[in-house]
Amino acid sequence: MNKAEKHLLIIGAKGGLAYKTIQKFLKKYPKLKITGVDTRLLDKPMKHPRYTFKRLEYRRGDFEDLFRENNFDYVLYLSRVTHSKISNKLLKKRLNLSLQGTQTILDLSLRTRVQKIVILSSFHVYGAMNDNPIFLDERYPLRGSLKFPELRDVVEMDQRCEAWMHENRNVIDTLILRPTNIIGPSLRNGITNYLTHPLSFYPMDYNPTVQFIHEDDMASVLVESIKVEPGLYNVTAPGYVSIKNAVKTINPDAYSLPVFALSKINTLANKKFGVPGYLLDYLKFPCLLSEDKFQKGFAKVKIKYSVKEAIENLGKNLRKKKQKD
Amino acid sequence: MKLLPSFDVHQTLYNKAMASVSELIEFYLNENRKKIAKKSELLRKRYGQERDPWGLNIDTLQTALTYIYPLYDKYFRVKLHGLENLPKKKNFIVIANHSGQIPIDGALIITSLIMEKKNPILLRGMGERFMFQLPFLAKIVSEAGTILGDRKNCRYLLERGHSILVFPEGVKGITKSTEDFYKLQKFTNGFYRLALEQDIPIVPITVIGAEEFYPYVHQSPKMAELLNVPSFPITPFFPWFGLLGALPMPSPVDIHIGKTIKPNKKLNKDSPTSEIKKEVQKIKEVIQEKIDKELPKKRKMFE
Repeated sequence: MNKAEKHLLIIGAKGGLAYKTIQKFLKKYPKLKITGVDTRLLDKPMKHPRYTFKRLEYRRGDFEDLFRENNFDYVLYLSRVTHSKISNKLLKKRLNLSLQGTQTILDLSLRTRVQKIVILSSFHVYGAMNDNPIFLDERYPLRGSLKFPELRDVVEMDQRCEAWMHENRNVIDTLILRPTNIIGPSLRNGITNYLTHPLSFYPMDYNPTVQFIHEDDMASVLVESIKVEPGLYNVTAPGYVSIKNAVKTINPDAYSLPVFALSKINTLANKKFGVPGYLLDYLKFPCLLSEDKFQKGFAKVKIKYSVKEAIENLGKNLRKKKQKD
Repeated sequence: MKLLPSFDVHQTLYNKAMASVSELIEFYLNENRKKIAKKSELLRKRYGQERDPWGLNIDTLQTALTYIYPLYDKYFRVKLHGLENLPKKKNFIVIANHSGQIPIDGALIITSLIMEKKNPILLRGMGERFMFQLPFLAKIVSEAGTILGDRKNCRYLLERGHSILVFPEGVKGITKSTEDFYKLQKFTNGFYRLALEQDIPIVPITVIGAEEFYPYVHQSPKMAELLNVPSFPITPFFPWFGLLGALPMPSPVDIHIGKTIKPNKKLNKDSPTSEIKKEVQKIKEVIQEKIDKELPKKRKMFE
């Protein structure tokens, strides 16, 4: 990054991951100005002279004003509306944002001559399938929505961004990240909810190998991403564990249940459990990412937590929280 | 005068018989436990203590061997021939004939290279897609070392120094009717391209005796289609006696390890299929010749 003042836009700035990423950006780049936007209001807004937060309805007009009034050099698009606690209203909002909203953001980035856009997709685009080979590279077909139509927007958004990346490769640098399960004490996504729920269960009849990345490391990856060569990257920490070990590390007293029973419990207690239905397939079948391209592209990022350490850290934080309560 | 013994006598006899059977099972399990524990320790040294990404867990494998080995040793009375033909330093691809309606032949080959070899090798067998979908079975087979039969999986495993077991006849080999016993079916070519790609030697293995696990079989493709399963064998006992009728006969099995075949250096992984087919055909002929030679010497089921 040049020494001159640059301006970064973070779309989806409310979440725990965004908070950590903003902190790291501000620390690493002393001249970087950051604007964060989200549809939700912040509980405790971060106060920093170089950081501004705006609550924004994700409408075309609002985005157009935002891009025209500011001269953004980088865009970090983190705004995948959470999959947890899905109501019909939220699902509609998500579909709109993921498909039409993404297209608006891409078009505006191109029109206002943004240098680089980083899009946070997900490894859910590959889908957990019984016939997945171990280690899926970035060229593997995206089959996430074959079984779960609610993932269609996630897959379509990723595909649209990839096509757009190739169409405009001479004009704008685009980076698409497909991280594995991101876990951490400040996150409330589906997998963290599953792992940290007091009623902890692991599958009795399946035990696939899983990968994780700690929120701290994911934030470091996002910070580094504005310097990395454009392209598609799977993102994961080194190592792997079985789902049983992951659950048992966090809660040694966890029960085992057949997946069909887990599925029933999840349906009955969805609001309390906060685990989307499709995630249960990830407790049955493998969806392991190949790290080869990530390790080369993000060689400068020091991953602090291996998969096992990320799980241990989550467990440690959960125990601390319980003791405080 | 009492013509029949009392109920108590029946009960005592039954209890004694059951106790003897369980003692016998326990005796065999105990006898083998130490041997299996020793082999498992050697496997842990070779492949690491940790679970691998495909799910292999040596502890589960050890438990599985505790039950499979007595069957291998006492029920199927497996004899391994030609152990000296295995490559000493490099990993390899085993190519074997497939037979027996259910993939017991694979389990027996894998068990033989663990239990009979001084420095055991775990051959990674390939499973059909449907196996990895079924609850419990998916977990057990993965943890015991079976992988999904996919070229990417094989490539990664070979790169990591594992040896793999391939049945190039696929389902067609294992699901033969009686009139086709010991006739090799069409071989797929994928394994040869992998061998060329990574310069991995090929070890041909011939299994004699597995076809007789179910001596009289008629395949019903219509029933298989109806039940959405790869095959549906009808035998004198199955499906008439339910799962009990699916028990394999105690046919003695001979596993012959052939001489190592090196991939043809004039070819590469992208060579035309016609060229690859010729090489694959040569391997098929090696196995068919061995079958024809060893079949007349086949051991009898009850002797």
